[in-house]
Amino acid sequence: MKAIVSIENATKDYRLGKVVVNALRGVSIDVARGEFLSIAGPSGSGKTTLLTLIGCVDTPTTGTVEVAGRDTAKLSERELTSLRLNTIGFIFQSFNLVGVLDVFRNVELPLLLQRSLSAGERSKRVLSLLERVGLMEHVRHRPNELSGGQRQRVAIARALVTRPELVLADEPTANLDSVTGQNILDLRKELNRSEHSTFIFSTHDARVMSHASQIVRLADGKLAEGISTGPTVSELHEVSSAKA
Amino acid sequence: MAGFLDTFGVVAQIALRNLFASRWKTLIVGGIIGFGAFLVVLGTSLLDSVDRAMSRSIIGSIAGNIQVYSSESKDDLDVMGGFSFDANQIEPLQDFARVKRTLLSVPNVSKVVPMGINGALVLSGNTVDQALARLRETVNKQKAAPNDSALADAYASEKDHVRQIVSVLSGDVEKARKLHDEKAIAAEDISVMKRASAAEFWADFDADPFDHLEFLENRIAPLATDADMLFLRYVGTDPKAFAQSFDRLTIVDGQAIPEGKRGFLFSKYTYEEQAKLRTARAFDKIHDGLKVRGKKIKGDADLERIARECGNQAKELMLQLDAPKTRLFRDKLQAYLKSGESDVRKLLDQFLRLNDENFDSRHAFFYRELAPSLELYRVRIGDTLTIKAFTRSGYVQSANLKVYGTFAFKGLEKSPQAGAMNLMDLVSFRELYGFMTEDKQREISAMRAKSGAKEVKREDAEAELFGNAEASAPAPAAAAPDDLGTALSGLSRTGSARAASTAAYAADQLTSGVILNAAVLVHDDKKLPETIAAIEAAGKRDGLPLKAISWQKAAGLIGQFAVLMRVVLFTAVLIIFVVALVIINNALVMATLERVRELGTLRAIGAQRRFILSMLVLESMVVGLVFGALGTALGAALVLFLGHQGIPAANDVFMFFFSGPRLYPALSGQNLGIALGIVLIVSVISSFYPAFIAMRVSPREAMQSED
Repeated sequence: MKAIVSIENATKDYRLGKVVVNALRGVSIDVARGEFLSIAGPSGSGKTTLLTLIGCVDTPTTGTVEVAGRDTAKLSERELTSLRLNTIGFIFQSFNLVGVLDVFRNVELPLLLQRSLSAGERSKRVLSLLERVGLMEHVRHRPNELSGGQRQRVAIARALVTRPELVLADEPTANLDSVTGQNILDLRKELNRSEHSTFIFSTHDARVMSHASQIVRLADGKLAEGISTGPTVSELHEVSSAKA
Repeated sequence: MAGFLDTFGVVAQIALRNLFASRWKTLIVGGIIGFGAFLVVLGTSLLDSVDRAMSRSIIGSIAGNIQVYSSESKDDLDVMGGFSFDANQIEPLQDFARVKRTLLSVPNVSKVVPMGINGALVLSGNTVDQALARLRETVNKQKAAPNDSALADAYASEKDHVRQIVSVLSGDVEKARKLHDEKAIAAEDISVMKRASAAEFWADFDADPFDHLEFLENRIAPLATDADMLFLRYVGTDPKAFAQSFDRLTIVDGQAIPEGKRGFLFSKYTYEEQAKLRTARAFDKIHDGLKVRGKKIKGDADLERIARECGNQAKELMLQLDAPKTRLFRDKLQAYLKSGESDVRKLLDQFLRLNDENFDSRHAFFYRELAPSLELYRVRIGDTLTIKAFTRSGYVQSANLKVYGTFAFKGLEKSPQAGAMNLMDLVSFRELYGFMTEDKQREISAMRAKSGAKEVKREDAEAELFGNAEASAPAPAAAAPDDLGTALSGLSRTGSARAASTAAYAADQLTSGVILNAAVLVHDDKKLPETIAAIEAAGKRDGLPLKAISWQKAAGLIGQFAVLMRVVLFTAVLIIFVVALVIINNALVMATLERVRELGTLRAIGAQRRFILSMLVLESMVVGLVFGALGTALGAALVLFLGHQGIPAANDVFMFFFSGPRLYPALSGQNLGIALGIVLIVSVISSFYPAFIAMRVSPREAMQSED
């Protein structure tokens, strides 16, 4: 089976005034369908930049990024947007819910943009998702009436409502307490099982990494030495000692 | 389709929620837009109403729908303004019959009225002159019938009246001498006055009345300053055609100029304003101010001035009082004022000191008790008015015309603009303007033959008069070429002018002959431009130099008033909306910058740019529509209210613009549409730049961490 994400020697330069920042300096990763990839690394290592390339929000300066078999550098703005809408679900670090819309509408939003389902189908799908994330009592609430964890679950529901092949999350547990963070991870596991989606999380939360099927470490815009396919022994040890 | 509606639904939902979320911004932007819409509705409705009212005023009073004059004229025709003598050089059209035939060949033309407009200064008779003239006439009659006792009584009374006038004038000169520097009054005037007031003068009067009368006429009468210059603007026309075409014309006093007769009709406004006794006019004006406009004398600058001036007008009444009237006035005023004062002048002075408390009673007393004994107007209906006007070539021509009455235009009774124009027959107008009728030319040539005057060209006039030594013989008649190139003598001129007052004229003189302009009335006033073009084309076809202009142009500045106001209004609206545009734009840009993360998120989860664009434009349109509709409704409500109540004309000028004492503005769907259209366009345009910024927001913005 072909990889859903295939990155070949991708670089990304940003211009900040007169300074050129080399956010990524040649990264190559392949992610197979159904996998759970965790991107680790300290702040400023290029995690978010890598995520924007995978998420078709940006294109690489050099190298290639293929998502669902399409070279993002060769796509137009419209095609990229369309790819994001139909293939990718985003979970943002600070949730980014639309403040003026209620929970139901927030989750429904991507479906409305897709314009492919009838109102009834949309409603059914939104409600079933909200039930799974345990927000049935908050369907008509506005985001500012919800707790951080509840908002995160709304964000997850929104990311999954289109049944995307690829779910991206940027530090999904960074703003959450450890219990809620764990719930999120359980939810992911369950969804992975039922929807067979591919998950790519950027994180420096060891607990998140412990669930990943593959971990890549970034440092200074490059992959750190030694790519592991699963948590290392020492990391597992860290996790267990953290739990203890 | 369903998909589109659903998307629109969410766009609308986000847009509306956003508007509610940022209430202050929405209210400010909406307030400006609403105010703009309100102003547009109110302004355009008022202007349309004024336009309609003014067109009624102008078309209905003199201009007609279209004015036609010679295209060879140096100046533009201005039937309303042009208050100086040489303002409008209008070339004459030689044959009205031809002009009328050509005009009536244009399908939309219904009526044609011949016209000529000019102005003249007219000296109204002064009381002293009139009193002296009456006395002289009586003296003459007495010569013929020395034993008539009625004549003797009249003689005594008139002599008394003249003596009274002399004493009033002498009192004035004395007062002036005290008030001013002694030298300001000519010593001669004082000695003349002394002689005329002296008892011996009057004792000798009976012995040689003519000698004494001559002295009074030549030396005393000029010292009386109550003679008034009337400035009269008049239109010479076919009175019957005029009355038929301008159906707002009504005769107020007297009668219309009879068919085929020369004559003059005062506009009632001019007659009241210029010919009425100042005292009476002051009573009228204050009465109008108090009763019609609900003002008070005290505190109103205008009324205070009129009341003050009225207090100094006793003299003009005094000059009218002969001995019996003096006694009558003394008795009545003594009783009314409960005063023991025996000097009528002092009683009148006291009576004419008007204020808010005494006005009503004195106004009633004046008209009930005093006015019947007074000549209220300097020119009476039925009098003959001597009009001296400058002809086109600049010499003075005069005509004596009977004043048949006064007229007014319905609804415009108090409008100075409509009331400035008086009426005379076209034949007299032509004479005053320097055109000869055939009759008159015959008369002149006959006179010329008799007096031996010869035709002199303008260039040769000087040589004929002074340079040429051979020109001896009887003093050559002063040569002043008229417009037809005929020189005519001063003698013949006055001679013929005297005859004018009584002479009738043939009907064909009105239907043919020279005119300056013509008023054209049309069947369908919506087709004015086409009709104007058709008239000029018909003129070309028939070899007539016709220029046709709409009533707006013909009324000069006044006609352009509505256009001018429209320009002012739309400039104001434009400025308001440009300011609104800037403010709205800024508010929306700020709002957009506040929403960068939300917009980035929408883009990241798959919203296309046009979704963002339509969302922001929709926001602006909703604000524009809701507040625009609110402003429009408010404006419409005010217009409807004003349409019901009417806007009172604040002064006489507004009477003209309002075509009556009140303006009733009407609402038109067109104005509402214009207002809504403008606000919608403005709000959409003002959202373009912010929407552009919003469109450029990168989906990366959603990935930035919160700090």
